[in-house]
Amino acid sequence: MPSTSLALTPGLGSFLKSLKTHPVETSIENLISLLKRRQIRHSRSCATATAYLLRHVVSVCKTSDPLKLIERVQTVGRRLVAAQPREMVVGNVVRRVLGLIRDEAEDDHEAEFALSEAGSESQPQTPRAFDDPSPSLPLDRDMLSLRAEGAERSSSRPTLHSMFSLLSHPEAEFSPISTPGTQSPNGRMPGHGPGKDVKAEVLEGIGEIIDELGQVDDQIASYALEHIHSNEIILTHTSSTTVQKFLVKAATKRKFTVIHAESFPNNHEATHATVSGNPLDDDENLSTEAFQKPLIALGITVILIPDSAVFALMSRVNKVILGTHSVLANGGLVAAAGTRVIARAAKVHQTPVVVVSGVYKLSPVYPFDFDSLIEYGDASKVLPYEDGDLVDQIDVQNPIYDYVPAELVDLYITNLGGHAPSYLYRIVSDHYRKEDISF
Amino acid sequence: MADSVDSALKSSSDIKSVQAQSSPATDTTPSQQTQTLPIRESKSAKSPAPSENQTGKNKDASKPPAAGADAAVPAGADKPLTPAELKKKAKAEKAARRAREKLAKESGGAGAAGSSAPGPGQGRPPATPKKDAAGGGASQKGQKAAQPRRGSAPTGQTAADEPTKKEDKSVAVFGHLYGQPRRTTIAGAGKEVHPAVLALGLQLRDYVVCGSSARCVATLLAFKRVIESYTTPLGTSLSRHLTTHLSHQITYLSTCRPLSISQGNAIRALKLAIASVDPSTPELSAKATLCEFIDNFIREKITVADQVIAGSAAQKVQDGDVIVTFAGSSIVKQTLLTAHKQGKRFRVSIIDSRPLFEGKNLARALANAGLDVQYSLVHAISHAIKDATKVFLGAHAMTSNGRLYSRVGTALVAMSAKERAGGVEVPVIVCCETVKFTDRVALDSIVVNEIADADELVSAQPLQQVTGLVDPVAPAKPDNKKGGKAASSAPKPDPSASSLNPSSSPLSNWKENPNLQLLNIMYDVTPAEYVDMVVTEMGSLPPSAVPIVHRMSTNL
Repeated sequence: MPSTSLALTPGLGSFLKSLKTHPVETSIENLISLLKRRQIRHSRSCATATAYLLRHVVSVCKTSDPLKLIERVQTVGRRLVAAQPREMVVGNVVRRVLGLIRDEAEDDHEAEFALSEAGSESQPQTPRAFDDPSPSLPLDRDMLSLRAEGAERSSSRPTLHSMFSLLSHPEAEFSPISTPGTQSPNGRMPGHGPGKDVKAEVLEGIGEIIDELGQVDDQIASYALEHIHSNEIILTHTSSTTVQKFLVKAATKRKFTVIHAESFPNNHEATHATVSGNPLDDDENLSTEAFQKPLIALGITVILIPDSAVFALMSRVNKVILGTHSVLANGGLVAAAGTRVIARAAKVHQTPVVVVSGVYKLSPVYPFDFDSLIEYGDASKVLPYEDGDLVDQIDVQNPIYDYVPAELVDLYITNLGGHAPSYLYRIVSDHYRKEDISF
Repeated sequence: MADSVDSALKSSSDIKSVQAQSSPATDTTPSQQTQTLPIRESKSAKSPAPSENQTGKNKDASKPPAAGADAAVPAGADKPLTPAELKKKAKAEKAARRAREKLAKESGGAGAAGSSAPGPGQGRPPATPKKDAAGGGASQKGQKAAQPRRGSAPTGQTAADEPTKKEDKSVAVFGHLYGQPRRTTIAGAGKEVHPAVLALGLQLRDYVVCGSSARCVATLLAFKRVIESYTTPLGTSLSRHLTTHLSHQITYLSTCRPLSISQGNAIRALKLAIASVDPSTPELSAKATLCEFIDNFIREKITVADQVIAGSAAQKVQDGDVIVTFAGSSIVKQTLLTAHKQGKRFRVSIIDSRPLFEGKNLARALANAGLDVQYSLVHAISHAIKDATKVFLGAHAMTSNGRLYSRVGTALVAMSAKERAGGVEVPVIVCCETVKFTDRVALDSIVVNEIADADELVSAQPLQQVTGLVDPVAPAKPDNKKGGKAASSAPKPDPSASSLNPSSSPLSNWKENPNLQLLNIMYDVTPAEYVDMVVTEMGSLPPSAVPIVHRMSTNL
């Protein structure tokens, strides 16, 4: 794709541009069709587009009643998810936004509650109060999770909307946070009406999610030096920007060797471009990271191999670092096709497998049916139509994703740090509220 | 693969006819020239050599010798020459030769491609007319100079170029495997090398003859021709001299592509047979015995062995099976076809890999025979293996420690079969003739392996590699790369590179990228525990029985 046609090719960039000018309903339809046509592909592009769209949806929403907002976001979210059920990050972002609205609503509710009653109920407020003055600090991602945690504890308090909260009611009673904080809510509550405030808070929260999406790779990369030592031989696969940033970060301090499997046929061009540092004119990648220095420019030896040579080289590899499409609650992952064999080969050779992934890819979905998670792609990439005689006769398969079971992964590195696969369920419960798991 | 053997056979018979045509010319010229121009004689005596470039199309090939004969006659006419004239002539000749060498190098590559690929005639027209025109226009000097000479110039040039680039680009771990770069033309081949062997060398290099058995058969057949046309020089015995004569051919072949285990085994057997020829036997009958030995060897060790293996492996196929196989093994193909003929109903799932895409030919053959074929690439192994009931693999060799040495990627398939998520193991069956057994051992895929040209990985289009690696476009490209630093062709690369490579792969000039290396290994070693059974012509064995069978088959 020549770069001149950039503005014309539909994708994340054009969508974000159109968001400002088009009415909401058009934008929703727009994103749905982008998702359906797979014109938006990468996890992060999908997540970003969803987040921006939801922000738009919330901001133009006439009502500021939290219940109505939730309903609105749910309907939009359902449509988006239905458009591309395998793009799990879309659902994740919708869940995050829903959780956000619920949090705000509850906070409000409690605030009123707290105001009307004595200050005794003010404890659950504290995380919120903490968060408020520092919305743009680099910490705020931790705050997010902290807040989510706090919110979870307080989730049952309101009894406000649904039957779900009835079920979780007993669990929420153990919520005392050690510092009751005498500052309490009075600082911000009295000024404005609860409804208006909720909307502003939600918009701000979505902004934080968008910020998080923007920084997630850098945050993950900041852990790189803890995991890569000198003279390592690292094997990776596909052209994941998360992995590239991770390695580039490590390369600033350490010398190591990277073996890069090219992931033919679905991602080899991007991989070649990443490896050689000649960026492809791909609209979705045409952001800042597309112009970052390739590893080879940092003095790192990169060896490009076909996927088939993975087993042969695995005996020399110290560590396998993989990107992923999405991570499931059980610690398994849905990643580019070929990842599973690589992880398997690493297991056979007792080589640790590290998966780098933003928390936004972490999905509360539990994979009961692996096959339903797998998407199949363009068969002509496997067998070009030049072999027309063959195309009629044989069945060509081009799966885009692989399901990699959790036992093949040794470590997850997210923007929150390193985790064992068995710990992921905990992060899931920190980030998504039970009510929203199947919204 | 069988058809590639056929084509090898055919082309070597072409060579024969070409040689027959050209030999009168070479006979006449020397007789006319011997006294005055000895240098000329040696040149024209070699005139069969250039025709090798065009073995694939004997119409083309038959022309140059005729022209050579025409040119040779006037050469005889202007016999009386002064020393000064001679010197001048030699100089001009040399200059012309240099120029032609470059041309011949290109067209030599193109010719090889033409012979290999039946379809793509694209690159040919530009190459041949040029050659013909130049051959016609320039007088006899040009004609003679056109021959790709085994002068020191081409080898020296490449030798100067190679180290600077290769050294940088060879993967350190595999350093021991980077030998000389593969021969790209027949230029520089020894004069003892038989035309059939010259052609075979190029076919091996271009993967026209590919696959362990096919390479073995083709080599033996070429050697049969060598033996047929061999005459023992005075003062030596056949059993002594023929071995050294053959070793020239072998050296040439191994510069085109490292010899396979099966080739090595076959050559060893042949040498043994030659050595055991009684010196007192008359040459004709000795040669007849040796040819018969070769025929028998092919029949016993490969043709019949394949039938036996296919027969017994086909018994393992049951109705409703889903059989996974990797790349394109001729013996697996035969097995599956045999099973299909027996009326069994099963599905075949072929996994293929870059850059050779050998599975495509297998898929085509099986689909044409009416089998139910599914085709996917190496990235889809775990999907293909999911509903597999058996895995059939071909072998390049079986090592003495029971490991399977086969096309790179085989180990991944075997591993996936053994570690399926459901916990159910899929039996892995290897079909392998005993001629592929070796007494070498291997633990990993790094110590023993073969490195192919990394440029094969650059082009993303699978199509080019289907029929043979060197498509009409490719030979020009490597030349450009090599010539990139050689001042002579410096302006050329850029326009041609962009026009030839419309996809403009980001890797197209990877050699200029520091620290970037491409690794294209040919084989990998599958651990013995992934292999359940090795089907050979001597029965079905566990991999641990390989060394015993190897001993038996070599001692007998």
